[in-house]
Amino acid sequence: MKHGLRLAALIIGCVVVLLGALLLTGAPPAQTLKDFILGSVGSLDALGGTLQEMTPLLILGAGVFLALRAGLFNIGIDGQFTVGACAAAAVALKVPGFFGTVLAVLAAIAAGALWALPAGLIKAYKGGHEVITTIMLNNVAVLLTGYLVSGPLMAAKADAPMSEELKPGSYLPDILHTEVWRVSSALLIGVLIVVALGWWLKRTVAGYELQAAGANPTAAEFAGVNAKRVIVRAMAASGAIGGLAGAFQVLAFTHQFYEHYSPGYGFDALGVALLSAGSPLMLVPAAFFFGMLSKGGTFISISGVPKGMTYIVLGLLILVTAAIRYRKVKAHD
Amino acid sequence: MSWAVRMDGVSKRFGDVQALDAVDLHVETGTIHAVVGENGAGKTTLMRALYGAMSADAGTIEVEGKSVRFHRSAEAIAAGIGMVSQHYGIIPELTCLQNLILGAEGGVVIDLRAAEERAETLARKMGFSFDWRRDAATLSPGAAQKLEILKLLWRNARIMILDEPTAMLSPADGEALFGSLGQLVNEGATVILVTHRLPEVMDYCRRVTVLRAGKRVDEKEVGETTSPELARMIVGGDVVLPAQRSYELGSRVVLAARDLVVSGARGEQALKSVGFSLREGELVGIAGVDGSGQRELFHALVGVTRLSSGSLELHGVDVSGTTPADRLQRGLRVIPEDRHSEAVVEDWTLEQNAALGLQRLAPFARGAIVDSAARRAEAGTIAAKFSTKHGGLSHPMGSLSGGNQQRFVAARAMELSPKFILAFQPARGLDLNATEHVYAGLREACKNGAAALVVSFDLDELLEHCDRIVVMNRGVLSEPAPDKAMDREAIGRLMVGAV
Repeated sequence: MKHGLRLAALIIGCVVVLLGALLLTGAPPAQTLKDFILGSVGSLDALGGTLQEMTPLLILGAGVFLALRAGLFNIGIDGQFTVGACAAAAVALKVPGFFGTVLAVLAAIAAGALWALPAGLIKAYKGGHEVITTIMLNNVAVLLTGYLVSGPLMAAKADAPMSEELKPGSYLPDILHTEVWRVSSALLIGVLIVVALGWWLKRTVAGYELQAAGANPTAAEFAGVNAKRVIVRAMAASGAIGGLAGAFQVLAFTHQFYEHYSPGYGFDALGVALLSAGSPLMLVPAAFFFGMLSKGGTFISISGVPKGMTYIVLGLLILVTAAIRYRKVKAHD
Repeated sequence: MSWAVRMDGVSKRFGDVQALDAVDLHVETGTIHAVVGENGAGKTTLMRALYGAMSADAGTIEVEGKSVRFHRSAEAIAAGIGMVSQHYGIIPELTCLQNLILGAEGGVVIDLRAAEERAETLARKMGFSFDWRRDAATLSPGAAQKLEILKLLWRNARIMILDEPTAMLSPADGEALFGSLGQLVNEGATVILVTHRLPEVMDYCRRVTVLRAGKRVDEKEVGETTSPELARMIVGGDVVLPAQRSYELGSRVVLAARDLVVSGARGEQALKSVGFSLREGELVGIAGVDGSGQRELFHALVGVTRLSSGSLELHGVDVSGTTPADRLQRGLRVIPEDRHSEAVVEDWTLEQNAALGLQRLAPFARGAIVDSAARRAEAGTIAAKFSTKHGGLSHPMGSLSGGNQQRFVAARAMELSPKFILAFQPARGLDLNATEHVYAGLREACKNGAAALVVSFDLDELLEHCDRIVVMNRGVLSEPAPDKAMDREAIGRLMVGAV
């Protein structure tokens, strides 16, 4: 198998690059790997951190995944996440208690969907590429929420653009909470979303039609699928999932909203969706791995290894995945 | 006698398929040589071996007396061999001239004026005319074919391989093409013609090589053989005869179209007040030169383009303003023109493709839910109907050859009791027997109360299989006089708008 050999060569090449990069920074490879494992899954405390990092990546990954199946590259999920988080914080601060939390989640879903909607409409009816429009919408999202949180939503005594903190009654509950670690229900809901998404795509006529429109829009039209409508809906649904992830981030983890809220989760989520290689359930290990890299990367950076090392790992991994995934299968007569 | 090409004992194996088994091909210089055979007989593979697009496992190739071994097409081109494949290599966004010189610009800086001059000389020699600065997107299939041939001449090809060159052409364009080829041959060029159409072989070729299942059956002087004999050699037995209608037409009208007006891509009136009706059991053909409005009519009937005005009734229900989904629900089935872009998702499995267009209907769907088991069973039925060769229902559609994809797409359109089958070139890329089977399938559906409307550019195919032929010319539909209903010449005149 020529392909097998090439793949093996690619993987060996990646390991060499990684080792080379480690040696270049003067970090002993074995020790760094050990620290990385310790810092990401080596203790319950570390594991809890990894799971927290994983949560937004998993849900956003699901949103990106859905859009990808419809043939759309939703780079805007970072912005949808941001407006969702902002909307959730605003609502939860106004309406405290459990009811307020539910309302905050719904508001975030609506905000995320609305934020994605223009990109869907422009793509479907004007042919404007969603990558361009969603990147622009990301900037608008950051600037708009930045304004809100330095004005109307800004906490009274804050000296930086951030909202008031939520009351504990507004928090999304944990499913596990001990002295050493906790696991938020947000993660559980995230896993459920992924499972539901996988089922919906595989087992419903609407899921089939969405994927048909994504894979071959013209053939889908001939098969009675309104591909334009699918584009608009898929984009809005992807945005809704992005908004939901934003709500969970505020309600479960940060408990307030602040300027430049997303540290780039939306972009990591693109990597998560790519790593899943077309299978929704693979989003879970992919997001977990990204979570590990984030948490473990922070840990090793304490001992002087640049955090950039994790990006090298990510880059190489995506390269290998893409090589496996997008191998051209040759047909012959 | 001098040989332009001598291939001896050429073999090629793909996995466990012996695509070519010690095949010989001897082509005389200055002649048109036909290579005929069914889908998968090895015609294209043999040509690819000659053209250097693929290397053979065994055998020798001589070009103009010199032993050669091409590893890339560029080497074949340098040796004077050119090939026009079934799928044209024209890039619509480029101008005609840019397309012509692409890959053979002859330097780092392009002298466009000199290029245009040479292009014009070549075209005039062949009796072609092109507006060199227009986008190639504006070319009709016939013109695109001509441009492909000019591309070979531009590269100084002396041996030209044409793979199914008339598949997309009207009879008139086809004749003109052979006129041009005849002229080239008279000037010493050699043409290897891969074709399904025996009349072309009989009328225009000097010698013919018959392939079957990767083996060479025979090589003959065309003058010493007959069409029926060739057909028998091709299929390795007797040919299935066109199925004749064995039942009376029903009285119910299945489809009634009145005064259809549809705008074309450039805003022109592509259909001008087209009306017709189809009765139960009727198989009607639409003849016409490509680009006469068949495509627009087809799209309007499917529902992917809107009617500007007019009405369309399916079984007495007005469907003028409805979506394709609604019409599919009412029993419309479609065999689209462009299989690749309109009929299948190549990355999907056969099983997934089986549902395309039928996905909302039982048994593929139970309400909003996909029934995977039923889909698998249906996929099996569809693949079996016209003996689609495949490696498994869970293999991607793209792993099938074009002919086998077409069988699958045609069979799918006859599933789940169709009421009205709309077929655009349903036999495109199919061999003799598969073509007969597809038309027999259409016939059977009609016998069960459906009606079928077939667009084809092959008039003989329509004459053989249809109950009635209507002709499309410049967006207007006309019918030959009753006493000339099946008169080839009368229909041919209507096709070009002559009275």
